[in-house]
Amino acid sequence: MTNHWIDIINSDCVLIMGSNAAENHPISFKWVLRAKKKNGAKIIHVDPRFTRTSARADFHASLRSGTDIAFLGGMINYILANRKFFQDYVVNYTNGAFLVDQGFSFSDGLFSGYDATARKYDKATWSFQKDAGGVVKKDPTLKDPRCVLRLLQKHYGRYDLDKVSSITGTPVEDLKAVYEMYTATGKADKAGTIMYALGWTQHTVGTQNIRTMAIIQLLLGNIGVCGGGVNALRGEPNVQGSTDHCILYHILPGYMKAPNVAMPDLNSYIQTCTPKSDEPQSANWWGNYSKYIVSLLKSWYRDAATQDNDFCYSHVPKLDVGQNTSIMNTFDLMYEGKMKGYICLAQNPACSMPNAGKVRQALGKLDWLVHANIFDNETPSFWHAPGMDPGQIKTEVFLLPAAASIEKSGSLTNSGRWVQWKYVAAQPPGQAIAVGDMVYRLVAKLKELYKKEGGTAPEPIQDLYWDYGDGKGGFDPLATAKAINGFFLEDATIKGKAYKKGQTVPSFGLLTDDGKTSAGNWLYTGMFNLAGENLSARRGKADPTGLGLYSQWAWCWPVNRRVLYNRASVDPAGRPYNPARPLIAWKDGRWVGDVPDGPWPPMANRQKGKLPFIMKPHGVSSIFGPGLVEGPFPEHYEPVESPLPGNPMSGQRINPAVKLFKGAADPYAINDPKFPIVCSTYTATEHWCTGAITRWMSWLTEAMPQAYVEISRELAEAKGIDNGDKVRVLSKRGAVDCVAMVTYRLRPFQVQGKPVHQVGMTFNYGWRFPPDAGDSANLLTPTVGDANTMAPEYKAFMVDVVKVEEAKHHAG
Amino acid sequence: MQGKSMIVDTSLCTACRGCQVACKQWHGLPGTKTKQTGTYQNPPDLSADTYKLVRFAEGRKEDGKPYWHFFSDSCRHCLDPGCMAGDQNNSIVQDKRTGAVLYTQGTRKLNYRAVREGCPYNIPRQDPRSKVLCKCDMCIDRLRDNMVPACVQACPTGALHFGDRRRILHKVALRVVELKKHYPKARALNPQDVRVVYIVTDDPDTYFELAEA
Amino acid sequence: MPKFTRRQFLGASGALAGGLALSSLGIPLGALQAHARDLSKAGRIKTARTTISTCYYCSVSCGLLCSTDQKTGQIINIEGDPDHPISEGSLCAKGAAMFQMSDHNQHRLAKVLYRRPFGTEWEVKDWDWAVEKMARNIKSVRDQDFMYKNAQGQVVNRLETIGHMGSSKVDNEECWLITTMARALGLVHIDHQARV
Repeated sequence: MTNHWIDIINSDCVLIMGSNAAENHPISFKWVLRAKKKNGAKIIHVDPRFTRTSARADFHASLRSGTDIAFLGGMINYILANRKFFQDYVVNYTNGAFLVDQGFSFSDGLFSGYDATARKYDKATWSFQKDAGGVVKKDPTLKDPRCVLRLLQKHYGRYDLDKVSSITGTPVEDLKAVYEMYTATGKADKAGTIMYALGWTQHTVGTQNIRTMAIIQLLLGNIGVCGGGVNALRGEPNVQGSTDHCILYHILPGYMKAPNVAMPDLNSYIQTCTPKSDEPQSANWWGNYSKYIVSLLKSWYRDAATQDNDFCYSHVPKLDVGQNTSIMNTFDLMYEGKMKGYICLAQNPACSMPNAGKVRQALGKLDWLVHANIFDNETPSFWHAPGMDPGQIKTEVFLLPAAASIEKSGSLTNSGRWVQWKYVAAQPPGQAIAVGDMVYRLVAKLKELYKKEGGTAPEPIQDLYWDYGDGKGGFDPLATAKAINGFFLEDATIKGKAYKKGQTVPSFGLLTDDGKTSAGNWLYTGMFNLAGENLSARRGKADPTGLGLYSQWAWCWPVNRRVLYNRASVDPAGRPYNPARPLIAWKDGRWVGDVPDGPWPPMANRQKGKLPFIMKPHGVSSIFGPGLVEGPFPEHYEPVESPLPGNPMSGQRINPAVKLFKGAADPYAINDPKFPIVCSTYTATEHWCTGAITRWMSWLTEAMPQAYVEISRELAEAKGIDNGDKVRVLSKRGAVDCVAMVTYRLRPFQVQGKPVHQVGMTFNYGWRFPPDAGDSANLLTPTVGDANTMAPEYKAFMVDVVKVEEAKHHAG
Repeated sequence: MQGKSMIVDTSLCTACRGCQVACKQWHGLPGTKTKQTGTYQNPPDLSADTYKLVRFAEGRKEDGKPYWHFFSDSCRHCLDPGCMAGDQNNSIVQDKRTGAVLYTQGTRKLNYRAVREGCPYNIPRQDPRSKVLCKCDMCIDRLRDNMVPACVQACPTGALHFGDRRRILHKVALRVVELKKHYPKARALNPQDVRVVYIVTDDPDTYFELAEA
Repeated sequence: MPKFTRRQFLGASGALAGGLALSSLGIPLGALQAHARDLSKAGRIKTARTTISTCYYCSVSCGLLCSTDQKTGQIINIEGDPDHPISEGSLCAKGAAMFQMSDHNQHRLAKVLYRRPFGTEWEVKDWDWAVEKMARNIKSVRDQDFMYKNAQGQVVNRLETIGHMGSSKVDNEECWLITTMARALGLVHIDHQARV
């Protein structure tokens, strides 16, 4: 979230799309409904299904799964055609006025530079015109046909109401109603927020779904302001923290790029990764890259890391250029027998991965699998799943008993980036220990073995600083938290102030690239103050702005800034665009309110002032976004499995940059009449993800006991299915038996003049427990994902639904 | 005696079922074995193991769009409880301070059917083992320690709200006026007769056939 | 102190709620009522140790108050923290069920379990054995498959045959140790719930 949970109360219009917030982030609705009471905010829910969120929304519009870009593209068209955008904001704070390279073009679903064989773009023309000094050419009048806003208008002019409706299946009146309500926030004193979640990310066009909305938010001036923002409602208790710490192949802690072979030494890494800008008023914060990477290396390798040895940069593994080792690729290799060992901590891929049947087979091709959790689940127990013959499965499995969150101290980072410390309420049962204890012990043992016996490449392990023990065999969470925050490793005087060796660094502004500071994650630098106090444990309730910032409750990254890009909430002179909700303001030569995005004066000060989007090289936010692989403007493409033979928008049926898996275990149902029904997967309030935890809790399984498929009355009638009937849902990859829930809350869509049916299932179940719960909906989902992130497509694929007796009859 | 009262404002309820589970947590009631029968509502009904149950009811509005109503059902703690009518030996009592209607162990000697039929909301249930009658006790032990009932504590949206009866009735009146601007059918159900006052925005029987007495 | 559930207690000691109510009606109940008052749940919570924690499900991170019996060391109640500015004491169904995540839940894993190749059941092991065996497994693969260079002769210092997954279900400090361990081993197959 650019903003935070409480800030939703400051909104004038809450759009919930790609999310079922009332069910999956129930406490968010405290703030959604208060926005309604306090500001008369309109609550809009756009979702294929009428859910508990829709029940409390002012307006629900349904759309066919996988058509969000068409829906939102229509909104961009509406904004531009009706001049609903916030012109000052667009001109000053976005690249809307930038002139785009003359070679950039778009035709029949493809942008300039496409290589069909490689399914990849050469992005050379996705760039801006520059003057001799390297500064981007702009037209603040927004009239130049090559300026971003005019190109945007041209691109989305194609998304008229009838066209959009014929793709999404949303009635034209509903489109108009949503567009009108939401775009009313394009005024200086109004704010609209978007609450989205995995309903947007888990598509082959996931990142572009979010981009489309980000463009809308920029056009309406809704980013950086109270009650606005682009708010990803993250799905797990610490998925914000685990992402910040980058348990991910492609980034290092603090969102730094994982090195590849084109960056053989530290200098080339820094040169490649540090963005450059000649824009005179751009802060270009990533210009500090060198300080953050060196401080990370110092935290990993401490005394072993010196200027002379590139701070042990060579110890960090290097990918090949373009190598993608994200999870679907990993399991593909595992299925081919190319992985030997797998460490899987507190995650249940046997139910959570797409095409879970393939995943379960893949686990049987490992030499060994390590799993830690608080309950058993389908992953460590894959070898005795129905249909498996343990006598034929070689995989050694370690199932390690873990302490629950209430049995260990440490911090969790919520979706609003608040880091909150918690304490030990009870000892874990039996032999259970914290996952951190396991990792600590395992690495300590490896260090011992390499020291004693040597081995291949022992240095990265031997040199690793690992003094995080609690003296009792486990790890010390507080000592680890301090290492993440970072220390002054030597006495130092920075910006005229003296710091002592061993003190915790109170702000990432003080990190250096000469090896005198460490920081396990620069974003978390400042969680401890200079005195070593843990700010994440704070419980101060003061709220002087009255905007719900609660700046003394816990601590949030970066530097306790509660709303990101807050300098976009003021005009170039530093005056709040909305005086009723002044997030920050420039008063008497200083900023008041939230921690501003940098200390500089407002940008009207041409010498010292800075542009608000400090993490972007040019200081402005991107309406034209050349960073993504499939284009600088989002374009509608059909899901890989779709009810349509083609794409009504162009000759490109699917995302031109998406990776398709070619193995026999990964078939796709493309224009396959055997699978005529769109299916989407999701979760319910009462369970969490695969149910690996919640299925063991009787109060929750009582409320949601067994797998079900939600079916419209119309489809049920056509199929002769009654409510509560046992049915089989089949895809090209598998079949799941479950209970039919026949409902008014789904309705057939009219798409391209024909009815299209959609059904939905939760992915909360698995065979392991309770015994009669039913198996995972992911036995059905396809191995294909977002072209940028490889987040799997769980939300749109094709199935059929039949009554179980009939299925047996067909089989017989 | 003014005592205490509770609002159940269905216009704020998201059916998160925090109340249903918090009640079980506080009272140490087990989760029972259930089946999926084609509804979100589970367990299917109140029982000796379930004092609080969120009921789900769906249908189609005149404009063709769906509605989905949620009704966090439990004892209304009537001012003049029908369930007490046939009780001669004080096994059902009304707490003086709060007005909570409480079933004691002595209820095992009562005629279960008569007690249940005396309740217009069909709330009382019998523990099949001990024969003791049971239902919501307004978390009387929490109230004594100045805590609100567990369900109210858990409720995320303020759909459940607890306090002194006079204040609660005042809030109910204000809320109904506010809701009527958008929902002409908005009203409170039996506010003068019960301590647990439901506010609805649609016909009561579209929530639950026994929503209103 | 004997273990009992609230429900068993009600059955065993007479009507708690009713007793209190009768008391407030002015009917004396003597020792039985006093006993009930001592052991009422609200009373037990008053004497329990209170610990601040955070809900373990979605990313709202609602505040929890855990009450731990000082004598048994067991959690006796978990409910929302009214002081928490986001959740203000509220919890959804999952948060309200956090108590069933504690060791009261008979299904909690409490032993180190091991399944040998082609084995048909779990075997109980201890930590020293398991840590040694896992470390040996890792080292054996790493010693064999660690790549100093790729096919083009470029330095890569990586290990492609061991992967790591998870987790966003653990604390920041644990996440950081995990990400650190993975890089020190040279792993590149590193992923977790942020992508799935």
